[in-house]
Amino acid sequence: MSDIALSIPQARVARPRSAARVLRIVQTVSIFIIALVIVSPLLLLVVASLKDDRFQILADMGSFRAFWVSKPTLSNYAEVGHLSGELAFGRYLINSLIILITTVCSGLIVNSMAGFVLAWGSLKGRAVILSIVIALYVIPQESIIMPLVMMVSRAGMADTFAVQIVPWVASPLYIFLFYQFFTQLPKELLEAAEMDGASFFRAYRSIFLPLSLPALATVSILMGIETWNQYLWPILVTQTDYARPIAVAIATFFGQDSIYWDRAMAASVLMMIPILGLYLVFQRWFVSSFIGSAVKG
Amino acid sequence: MAMQQSTSSRSARITLRRDKGRLMQEAAMLAPAIILLTVFLIVPFLLSFWTAMTNQPLVPRPTPVRFVWFNNFIRTFQDDLFWTALWNVSRFTFWIIPAQCGLAFATALLLHQKLPFRNLLRGMFFLPAITSMVVVCVIWGTLFQYPTGPFNQILGFLSGGAIQPIDWLGDPEWAMFSIVLLSAWQAYGFQMIVYLAGLQGIPDELYDAAKIDGANAFRRFWHVTMPGLRPTHVFVLVITTIQAFKLYTQVAILTQGGPKSSTETVVHYMVRAGFEEQKMGYASAVSVILFVIVLIIALIQRQLLRRFDV
Repeated sequence: MSDIALSIPQARVARPRSAARVLRIVQTVSIFIIALVIVSPLLLLVVASLKDDRFQILADMGSFRAFWVSKPTLSNYAEVGHLSGELAFGRYLINSLIILITTVCSGLIVNSMAGFVLAWGSLKGRAVILSIVIALYVIPQESIIMPLVMMVSRAGMADTFAVQIVPWVASPLYIFLFYQFFTQLPKELLEAAEMDGASFFRAYRSIFLPLSLPALATVSILMGIETWNQYLWPILVTQTDYARPIAVAIATFFGQDSIYWDRAMAASVLMMIPILGLYLVFQRWFVSSFIGSAVKG
Repeated sequence: MAMQQSTSSRSARITLRRDKGRLMQEAAMLAPAIILLTVFLIVPFLLSFWTAMTNQPLVPRPTPVRFVWFNNFIRTFQDDLFWTALWNVSRFTFWIIPAQCGLAFATALLLHQKLPFRNLLRGMFFLPAITSMVVVCVIWGTLFQYPTGPFNQILGFLSGGAIQPIDWLGDPEWAMFSIVLLSAWQAYGFQMIVYLAGLQGIPDELYDAAKIDGANAFRRFWHVTMPGLRPTHVFVLVITTIQAFKLYTQVAILTQGGPKSSTETVVHYMVRAGFEEQKMGYASAVSVILFVIVLIIALIQRQLLRRFDV
């Protein structure tokens, strides 16, 4: 194809090329418009959170003023940013961050180690363990939650940070994702490392882990979104402000009779920022093909 | 000869010792995951079958827990509200599949082309998927406001006032449909990613060959893209169905199962039985039923994938 294109004099190519370019621009612009329509509820949220008057927010909703704020103010954020007291969304946000960071970091370590052993270890029964792990993936969180609540409350873990972190660190899906990623790396890497006297763990830590940035990023994003957006579990196991995550706090605030839309919106924006940050940081290595192949397996 | 033997036996001893150390390391690396999965997944899972056959209350009482065999299951199946919940999630599934999978497929097709700002666009389309359901409820709660919310305004404007304002979340006829709309918007992003992966998996040569054969864009789509995506379609359908049967958060926040039980779901029914009525045994029976439903859907997926995968 390119050979033929090269042999045609430049002048003759120019016209179709510019037509193609116009088409390309039209196409891009229309996709951007679709994308804007899709994200418009989120734009609405951000704009409304900058408005001072909660009645005005509702009045504006029906018109294009919903997307415009003439006198932006951060007063709503100041109202919900407290670290203690009634609207202590600042505190709930910190609670959620503690839970997020601890769960994802320990999840990356625990699941990647297990995936690595299942991929390259020589332990007997690996195949059995792997098929059990895959089978466990079918069990939905919702169907173990009843006995789990009883277990943790008898163990005195209710209303703590630990109860929101420890049960969800190990996950069949993420073990399997790491397993799949590691099997795609060449086995020679491990053999060479062991030849040089490195231990199995050393090979994992110094050679395989640095190579698995796409897997680490993908699991971070998936696990981060999952942890950050947990709702059913924390609402069952948290009763006080002590370890309450921001999702539960917003839902409780939202459930009250007279809704302070302005504050609910500001708290919602606060809740979006960390997870958006996580996504933006890891997005570069977020490999979609990897998810596709793994979830099908 | 003798020396050779001794060196080889020594090296065998060393490998053996190294192997033993290596096996210890492997066990130590595997242990955290195994222990956590056992304590927090396998044990509660097995426990749910046991609890389902007892009259276990939420808060321990002085009276001993009795074994009631399948009474909880029988009572669940005799409860009209349970069947309403099951019917509602089935209705939800029926609507969410075209809405969510359709949106995911369409956006994936748009993004699969060579576009400027592709990553930015992908990020924008993925934005709803990273938004917490709680936040989604706050936003869509305003969009659904009755009678002057944005949706009603837009409908009124487009129809020139012919369409009366709809009480999206307060009307039993509309409530589940409204939940479908916001759920599809929130969750399609993941399916879009899966579809993008599926599209990447179709080799370019197939398209080139089809072009040489003179197939137009539509025929290329119909005879190359669609067959290539068959396993992806199955996977996306199944995931969406399983997700749909677990519907809870948006219903709990926006409608609490109402109005007139029109948005009651299986998980919401289970949580109410367990925590409002404090009947753990009964709630566990519902959770076992939920598991069986999910298992059946997953098994169907395996069968279908086996048939499609070459």
